[in-house]
Amino acid sequence: METVTLLELNGRVRSTLQFEMPDAYWVQAEISGISPSGQGHCYLELVQKDPTGRTFLAKAKANVWRNTWLRIKPFFEAETGETLKVGMKVLLQVTVSFHEVYGYSLVVQDIDPTYTVGDMARRRKEILEQLARDGVIGLNRELEIPLLPQRIAVISSATAAGYGDFCNQLAGNVYGFRFYVKLFQATMQGDDVERSVIAALDAVAAERDKFDAVIIIRGGGAVSELSCFDSYNLAFNIANFPLPVITGIGHDRDDTVADVVAHTKVKTPTAAAEFIISKVFDAASILETLTRRMGESVSERMNLEKLRIERMTQKLPSLFAVVRVRREQMLENMWNRAVTGLNSLITSNLHRLELLEKGVNSSDPIRILERGYTLTRCNGHVVKGASDLKRGDRITTVFADGSVESEII
Amino acid sequence: MKRLEETVSRIEENKMDIDQIGESLKEARELIKFCKDKLYKTDEEIKKILEAED
Repeated sequence: METVTLLELNGRVRSTLQFEMPDAYWVQAEISGISPSGQGHCYLELVQKDPTGRTFLAKAKANVWRNTWLRIKPFFEAETGETLKVGMKVLLQVTVSFHEVYGYSLVVQDIDPTYTVGDMARRRKEILEQLARDGVIGLNRELEIPLLPQRIAVISSATAAGYGDFCNQLAGNVYGFRFYVKLFQATMQGDDVERSVIAALDAVAAERDKFDAVIIIRGGGAVSELSCFDSYNLAFNIANFPLPVITGIGHDRDDTVADVVAHTKVKTPTAAAEFIISKVFDAASILETLTRRMGESVSERMNLEKLRIERMTQKLPSLFAVVRVRREQMLENMWNRAVTGLNSLITSNLHRLELLEKGVNSSDPIRILERGYTLTRCNGHVVKGASDLKRGDRITTVFADGSVESEII
Repeated sequence: MKRLEETVSRIEENKMDIDQIGESLKEARELIKFCKDKLYKTDEEIKKILEAED
């Protein structure tokens, strides 16, 4: 029976592998472990999971030697905006190696970032589809930012430059608007983002009456590490948040899921501050316009009234004159009528007087006496018949030209 | 702000009599001052509430 030493056996495995699989392969895998070494190398754990994601179907160590690591790390980060990390799907060019002591491993030669970018986009799409199915995707966008969003809850890390930028921008606004900012601290980078930001959101929600809007910001770094904002749980919390959420997490690639569900998405903390200022500016403009409109319409109205009064004042004398002329005419008419009436009255009375005079004249006893009649008196009384007299009475007979005395015989 | 808008519109419609305008003008002035104060003056009350728990 031939026996071999372990070294001989491993050596045979090694040479067989080298002989049989000398080429480089592009392999798709998920990173399950990553540890940079002190010497500048990087050791990866790669896995392939079954579709449920719970069982490993394959596993391998992969070494990135220093020279390769120095080349592919910045390249990958520049292309994806992400650092290589656990859970990430990668497409690596590898050669297969076997070491008598360390065993089977892969040696990474190159990386194709577009695969990772595509995978992240696919994951984003899946999360967004899930949010849409759950009916929450547009909820935060439907909220209205209050007319004067001056009370702002900020979710950020206190040390981030972005938070300082935001505060300075708000406080230094050229219009002199006042803002009230309260910071709710959260980790804005790495695996803790989801849990930490959700906790901060909960803290804001607990005192939501004190705020008009929530701003999630962080300063830009060389690597944006946006994938932590492609989280279903975080997006669900943002979408359902009772206040409008504004994101300014600093990037110019595709929007993260958090950006999509937020009320408003801006690129940087400074832009977030500008957005808030512009909202208040809009309100201030409306106020200015209303003030101006009110002033204008009031003075317009006052001018109108003044003109009206002036017009009336001018009209008054002439109106009065018209009335006066009319009254004067009326008075004159009445005078004329009175005069005419009086004249006719006088004329008719004169006429009657003349008639009366005639009547009176014709019945004057003198006229009768002139025609030959006489009047007889006795003892001062007029004698109207012969029987009134007796013998011896002395009578006076009156003629027109005098009287005579006689005695009855 | 809405009340201010309504007041101004009413004045603009020219349907008010002069006495009413005086009243409305006073009301509008107060509303404007209220809004301006909100915009430009620090509300100590809000400041206190927000800083209380820090």
